[in-house]
Amino acid sequence: MERNPMRRQLASMRKSLFDQGYLDEQFMELEQLLDDANPNFVEEVVTLYYRDSARLILNLDRALERRPLDFSKLDGLMHQFKGSSSSIGAKKVKAESTLFREYCKSGNAEGCMRTFQQLKKEYATLRKKLETYFQLARQIGPMESANRPK
Amino acid sequence: MAHTLPSSDQSSDQDKWDSGGLECKGQLLIKIVMRNRLTALVVDGDTTCWVLEQELLHSYGVQTLGVDNSRDAVDLIASDAEFNLIIIEKILPVLNGLEVTRQICEIGVRCKMLEVTACSGESERQAFLAFGVDVFIEKPLDPEHLVPILRELDGQ
Repeated sequence: MERNPMRRQLASMRKSLFDQGYLDEQFMELEQLLDDANPNFVEEVVTLYYRDSARLILNLDRALERRPLDFSKLDGLMHQFKGSSSSIGAKKVKAESTLFREYCKSGNAEGCMRTFQQLKKEYATLRKKLETYFQLARQIGPMESANRPK
Repeated sequence: MAHTLPSSDQSSDQDKWDSGGLECKGQLLIKIVMRNRLTALVVDGDTTCWVLEQELLHSYGVQTLGVDNSRDAVDLIASDAEFNLIIIEKILPVLNGLEVTRQICEIGVRCKMLEVTACSGESERQAFLAFGVDVFIEKPLDPEHLVPILRELDGQ
């Protein structure tokens, strides 16, 4: 039957997101919380996160181009970004945010810039992985409805 | 709250993941029965957090109102809107969370106030507590911290 291999693929994909440290248990809480209300709500929330956090990323990019760096402003922006990222369980992104804030507190410009580049990589990687995951989940959803006994 | 992923037994792991959930999934949202309909105000400028905090509260039957800036929060409280619980983020548009807390307390509000924010230093934590916040929670807001507060408000 076609359904099971796809479900197994989805499950495997999901497991690796946790095993490889991209997501933490907050993502699981999200899934449980939003299951009944709307099966696509987790995807909608993640989409919302990427839409809103893009503005913060842009503001951080701009702030990092200024000389001298305003560490207080950078810290404030990253504080917001970290809060948002932690709310969807973006574990690696959150870790880079924490590191960035430590560099802000110690006034380490190079550390901030280096960490921010790594953060953007993790942010982009997670986005791609989640897009693939949700795309497959959506394919399985309608298939399950079609195969449901009448 | 310690949560572990399914055990190392591969076949049972696969079944658990296949079922569209996890064995531990049912343990993540602590189940409680509320006797009363509580109300909460969520003040957070970040839309993702604002949406999720309200959804978490809704899952426990709490009626919520959300505002995304400090000015609206203060105006709401000043207009005699009453809540059992106010959740405030530290960094907000217009006024910061500390100033909002101060103004809300000056108005005379005596409900439970939670500061929910990405981690801050001890001095900031103490400042919020001194201004009238009851509990300081690091984001994300989770059932482990929320449920005891809801139980207390519900008189359980």
